[in-house]
This record gives sequence, C-alpha cells and structure tokens, in this order.
Amino acid sequence: MASVELKNVHKSFGSVRVIDNIDLKIENGSFCALLGPSGCGKSTLLRMIAGLEPVSEGQIFIGENEVTFTPPAQRKVAMVFQSYALYPHLTVRKNISFSMSLAGMSKQVQNQRADQVAKLLQLEPLMDRRPAELSGGQRQRVAIGRALVREPEVFLFDEPLSNLDALLRVQMRLELAKLHLDLKTTMVYVTHDQVEAMTLADKIIVLDKGKISQAGTPLELYNAPQNKFVASFIGSPAMNFIPATGSAANKKDVNLIFAGGGKLKLSRQTANTLGETNNIDIGVRPEHLHLTDAGNKSIAFSGTTTVVEQLGNSTYVYVDTPSGQLIVQGAGNLKITSGTKVGVTIDSNSAKMFGADGMLI
Amino acid sequence: MTATAKSLLMRPRFDRVGLLITLLTIFVAIFWLFPIYWALVTSFKPEQDVVQPGIEFWPKNFTFESYTFVVLNTKLAIWYMNSIITSTAITILVVIMSASAGYSISQLNFPGRKFLWWMILASFMIPIPALIINHFVLMNQLNLINTLTGVVLPQLIAPVTVIIYKQFFDSVPKDFRDAAIIDGATELQLLYRLYLPMNWGITTALAIITFIGAWNQFLWPFLVTTTEPMMNVTVGITQVTDAFGVKYARQLATAVLAALPVAALYLIFQRRVTQAIMLTAGIKG
Repeated sequence: MASVELKNVHKSFGSVRVIDNIDLKIENGSFCALLGPSGCGKSTLLRMIAGLEPVSEGQIFIGENEVTFTPPAQRKVAMVFQSYALYPHLTVRKNISFSMSLAGMSKQVQNQRADQVAKLLQLEPLMDRRPAELSGGQRQRVAIGRALVREPEVFLFDEPLSNLDALLRVQMRLELAKLHLDLKTTMVYVTHDQVEAMTLADKIIVLDKGKISQAGTPLELYNAPQNKFVASFIGSPAMNFIPATGSAANKKDVNLIFAGGGKLKLSRQTANTLGETNNIDIGVRPEHLHLTDAGNKSIAFSGTTTVVEQLGNSTYVYVDTPSGQLIVQGAGNLKITSGTKVGVTIDSNSAKMFGADGMLI
Repeated sequence: MTATAKSLLMRPRFDRVGLLITLLTIFVAIFWLFPIYWALVTSFKPEQDVVQPGIEFWPKNFTFESYTFVVLNTKLAIWYMNSIITSTAITILVVIMSASAGYSISQLNFPGRKFLWWMILASFMIPIPALIINHFVLMNQLNLINTLTGVVLPQLIAPVTVIIYKQFFDSVPKDFRDAAIIDGATELQLLYRLYLPMNWGITTALAIITFIGAWNQFLWPFLVTTTEPMMNVTVGITQVTDAFGVKYARQLATAVLAALPVAALYLIFQRRVTQAIMLTAGIKG
C-alpha cells in the first residue's frame, strides 16, 4: 500500500495542454475515482501515474518515492484496462503468470501464485481457457487477477466496467468494492460514470478540461458542489439549472427573480460576488423541487407536466415552466399525468446559486 | 404468382456468360498445367523416345530409368541438402529480421524511423536482379563466392515481409503493449512473447512463402556457385548432362524431384500460402 501524490503535473501533446497544473494526494489505502467527461484528461492522468505517458512538467510520488521518470514495471503499480488487454494467445493461467514469467520466476512459484489469485477471484475452472472463450465478466476478473498477482502498492483502473452490460456492471462494481475492502490497497479508478464513482470511491476528483474542478467525498460533491460543472456532472437525473436575476438583499442574502416572475431569497454560501450582469443560475436537484397546486401562493414556478417517468421507488416529472424544463422527483406512487397544470416549490436550503462564471455564490 | 413467373422459376436457367467463363478458366488451367504434365510424362520416357518426332502424350515405354540415373549418378542428395540448408536459413533469418525491423518501425520511436520506412518502401522500385552484379562483386570481396553463406546473404533482402509485419504490428491494440510494459516486458520480450505469437498466422504464411521462394531461386545461386558440391537443386538441374549434350528426360526427372518438396509444402499449407500471396499482392498492388 502506498499513497499517490502529484505535484504541479502538466501534460502537453504538442501545443495542446491536456493536463494543467494538477496537484493532488490520494491517501494510502483509499479508493479514489477520477471522474469527468470524455477528453477531460482523466485517462492521461492515470497513464502518467502508471508511467505509460511521460510527464511534461511536475512530479509524481508513489509512497515516499518519486517515480516521475521510473519505468512502469518498477513503480509497483498494476493496471486494469477498459479493453481488459488479455493476451489472446495465452490461457488464463499464462495471462495471470505473464509478469512472473517475464521476471524469470520458477514455474512452481508462478503456478502457486496464479492458483491463489484464481481462488480469490473464482477463476479456478477457467485456468486453461483462452480469453476468447470467456464472457465479459470472466475476462474482467482475469484482468483483475493479472493485476493482483503482481502484489502492487497501487491499483489503476481505466474504465474497467465500460464494456459490460448494465447487470454485470453492478455485479462487478460490488466485487471491486469487496476486493478493496479485502486488500485495502490504494486504488485509482478512472470513470465517466458518476454512479460508479459515487458507489465505489471514498474520494472523487472531478476533472474538467485537464484541471481539477473539485475533489472530495462523494457526498461533499453531491451536496456542496463548488461550481456548475460539478453540480451538473454529479447526480442522476442531473441538477436543474434555472436562470434568474439576482440582487443583493443584504450582505448574506440575494433576492432572485425568475423568468416567469417567481421570486426567491437565497443565502450566499461563498464570498463570490454576483458579477456585473447579476445573471445567476439556480441549481436545484430534482428531489429538492416539489409539485403543488398551480394556485398555491408559495410556488416559485407554475407549469405543465410533459413526461412522467415512474420508476417504482420514485417518479420523475418533467415540467415545462417559463424558466425552462424542470425535472421534479416525486414519490413512487405519485398519481399524475402529462398535461397537468402544476406549481413547483423550491427547497431553498438545498438550492445553489452559480454566478455567470459558473462558480458557487 | 403468374404463369410466366412460375415457368421462369421452374425452367433451369442457362447462364451463357457463366459457361463461357468456366470454359475459359478450364482452358487457362490446361494451358498452365500442360508444361508440368509434359515434364512429368517426359521424365518417365526412355531418352530415345523423347527425341522422336511427333507428340506422345503418354509414354509408350514407361520407365524409371531417368530417376534411377539422377539419384544414383548425380550429386542430387548434396544439392537437396544445400537447398534445404540455404532455404531454411533464408526463411529463419528473413522472418527474424523482418519481424524485428517491422516491429521497430511500427512500435519504437527513434531518430530516422520515418526515413528508414521510406527507404524500405522505396526499395520496391529497384528490382533485385538489377543489383545482382553489385551482390556478386560484394560477395567476391567478402570471399563468399561458392559458399552457402554467399547464396544466402543477398536473398535476405525482403522489404515486403517487413512491410507486412509493420502493418500487422500497427494493428495490434496499444493496450496489449501497455499491459505488457506494466508487467515488465522489455522490447525484445514484447516482440517475441507478444507481437509475434499474436500474429503467428502471418509468420507461418510468410515463412512458407519465403521458403518456397528461396527453394525455387535460380538466378543468384546459379551465379554465385560454380562447383557442384555448392549448388542447390535448381542449379543442379543444369549439370544433368553427359558428353552427348542435354538429356531431357533426366533433366526433367531432376526438375520433378526438385519441385517435390515445394509441391508437398504447398499442398499441406495451401491456405496459408494463398493468404501470404494475397498479402504480398496487396502490398505490391
């Protein structure tokens, strides 16, 4: 086990800077997810930690050792790839033993350690098969086994569940979580799926255009996003953003007027200013909006329901309002049809204000 | 269904174009096969029957005389051995060198990589026979005339196999390389334990076609070897003469014997050979 630390790390491909001044520390034994949309630089960052991509500027530490220029095999890391990258000409046993075979270990040791890993990952009946004869989930377990047998200090996962179907993904997610509990090895996990990041990681680093947008625990990111990007990226369905005009009521509070004439007073959560235009986006998660009668005086918006999605445990109602379309979460047994005139209230304690620069106010 | 449609379906269709193409194909096949048939048939005729006027499609007097003469009175065994040694050496060396060169150009970053690649591509423009005098002079300077090494060395120039390997190595997903690097593989291990085994089919195909090419090679071995013990089997055919001149039946018997291993190899690995021919045709095309 070892911590991973990146100090002022930059990466450029020609004139394009894909990683911009990353400073982060991943604690020893933690499960850290690098989360972001495609092209944000998360896989590049992981590859730099692995040593597969040279660093343009900055330093990388694994444990106490600086590994910025250390070859990948000497960094004591193991990586699981999105494509699994199982050697197609080798059996499962030989795939797992490959690194030991390269290191010149005896056949006996190779078999012994491969068997241990196979037992842990329930791969024993598959040891003589080739990757082409395995299902997606089995291939994934072999890829993990191949990483595990190296007894690394840090596990690196590059979107390992992306190629699996929804059901298997949930199952493998659980297996990964259990594996982390058992091994307690530092794990760095790249994903664009916020559900994977929220469920697996104890720390999430959200990347946007090669920069850290926000880092924190899953609930910190969900409940206290520091900018509109993080607020929109975390949570499914995504947070509602409602344009409003703001004016300072006092040092702490802001009066907001929505497009339909609705009014709301919210408290500032940071020292950030409203900006010159006073244009503000109010971020409210679907569960913090509530449906009520259209005639209710406390409503912020009135509108008409368009689509109703009943999921059993909850209902998502899409409401067209003068401020745009809003998604409202209701109870699972909510009885409502599309085309109904409704009022929408906001749970003001949970609403966030984002300035024109996208930062939390 | 109308009556016309029914009658159209019932009546067997007569495909005139198809028939014409089939007949043409059969004619071309006969045209191509006839010399081989003629050589085979002639090798079983007595020498005096061969030089009789007229065409004799089947031997009147069937005999193994030419074969027994060639086996017992010439250096056929030595020529065979020389052919086996040189062809095997050429095959092994060409595969190793081409795979290494293809891998380097495909996967490694080094100064002059692109220049090297363009040089290999440009080498197509020079036909190998155009270099034959240079090769002869060079081999002479190296004192390799009349040696098996002298036969082998100039035949190691195989830009096609380098290009095929490069193309196949280019198509190997990068994740395999990354995974093996993290596993601790060196470049040599990457080549011999990952890239080559993953493209084993191509290696087999290229090895077979290289072996057949080396076995059938005539011009260069004919120039570089002047003594019978150094000749390979294709050059050895020219030595099957006597004081009265060319003996056609014996020469053709030697040619049939010379072609046997290649024919056997082709029949066994027919699919691989076709694959290799298509690959090289694709490159050359």
